[in-house]
Amino acid sequence: MSSDNPEISDLIVDFDPESLARLPVSQAAVVERFQRLGNRRAARVVANMPAKDGFLDAQAVDRLLIRVHWEMQRLAEEFHHGRRLRELLLPGIHVLRMRGIGAPIRVVDVGCGTGYAIRWLAMHGALGDDVELIGADYNPALVHEAERLAAIERLRCRFVTANVFRLRQPGHVLFTTGVVHHFRGESLVDFFSEHNRSGAQAFFHSDFQPTPLAPLASWFFHVLRMRTALARHDGVLSVVRAYSAQQLLDAARRGAPGFLCGTYGSRIWNTPMPRVFHTLVGIRPELREGFLDALGWRRHRMGDIR
Amino acid sequence: MSLVLLYVLATLDGAFCGYRAAAGRSALIDKRRYYRRALLRGAGLAQIAVALVAVILVFLLAFSSAKPDLIDDLRASSRRALLVYGPYAVVALLAFGVRLLPSVDFRSATSVFVFGPLTALRPLVAFAGVVYAILPAAEVQTRLLGIMVLTLMFGVQLWLDRKAALEREASLPANPSI
Repeated sequence: MSSDNPEISDLIVDFDPESLARLPVSQAAVVERFQRLGNRRAARVVANMPAKDGFLDAQAVDRLLIRVHWEMQRLAEEFHHGRRLRELLLPGIHVLRMRGIGAPIRVVDVGCGTGYAIRWLAMHGALGDDVELIGADYNPALVHEAERLAAIERLRCRFVTANVFRLRQPGHVLFTTGVVHHFRGESLVDFFSEHNRSGAQAFFHSDFQPTPLAPLASWFFHVLRMRTALARHDGVLSVVRAYSAQQLLDAARRGAPGFLCGTYGSRIWNTPMPRVFHTLVGIRPELREGFLDALGWRRHRMGDIR
Repeated sequence: MSLVLLYVLATLDGAFCGYRAAAGRSALIDKRRYYRRALLRGAGLAQIAVALVAVILVFLLAFSSAKPDLIDDLRASSRRALLVYGPYAVVALLAFGVRLLPSVDFRSATSVFVFGPLTALRPLVAFAGVVYAILPAAEVQTRLLGIMVLTLMFGVQLWLDRKAALEREASLPANPSI
């Protein structure tokens, strides 16, 4: 698998970027695209999906995506992603309070899927009553599912089908999990430019860390833990497509010059052993010292932030 | 003694099968009740499997013309099975001990480096344990019982997996696109 290959989930749903209206997806076109790329496995997965009049059945696709997100949640649980995220959000929110950002401080998960991170934070985050937790995604089916799950557990958070950068009340802190590798080439720089233009004060983008062994380890993990062909395919490809810390930093510094950027948690303790995930941290210059102080004993996990 | 240990291991294996079948099939955040139910279901199914084996064992003993020889053969086989299953179980239980440490890195590492490979090895270990137990066995009844145990070990996992898959499908929203 090559990093140029798109993931199946990138191609089986399509939305108008302005209106966010769902667009029909031609099954034959997606199958042909994967075949042209030499990705027969992905072509087979798409060819087996239910279709109506040549277009992928939106309802079946949504059910599949929800199933896949449930499976992916297991990965986040096994890697204790909620706790790792909280390590960064607590100091980030602390420094915003110190700088007098009025309540509510809006923490937004960009591309939240079924909202695991936001729901975990609502249940275990203890971020404070002045913090509003919002999950945003383009896909209304995933947003509805996130809302349904949050309602079952009576969690204090909300989910919106929206472009995060067009929200009437923009987020103060933006974060993503396993999302940034979906932006290829210049669109990654554009993604960070949107941060720069928005009212965001900080961002934390966690993604797989590319290492020589990561694709093999990811393949093994996905074969064991994932049950749907789509999750297995996209999970392994995600690792192949993941950006190095330097690539992320270069794109972020180009796109969002209004932020100071660095990577967090790349190595396990002070050893050369890489963590599975690393986090790109961006913070407005005036918040830098307060943020680093608030990290406390975890400060050594934060790379050079400039 | 070895029969009691095998019973404990069968119950533990059933409980873990229940957990594995349930994992990744609920998107709730607080899954304590969900996993408790899954563990109990797995352990409960293991009791049914053990009871079935016990009934067959009693039946075989009742109709055996050389009861003492069969008992000795079964004891020797169960000791050999323990030599394979014991270390596997010890590694799994030690990994659970590591998970008690308050470090997300340690906990994640047990998932990646211990529980993942142990899950992959389970079918192989199940097979190896029974083969090692029954190959040197003198009595045909011991061999038949071993094959039955192996079938039940795989059967329990398959049944639990199927049941969990059906429950997951039922709990998915019927029409997510609305």
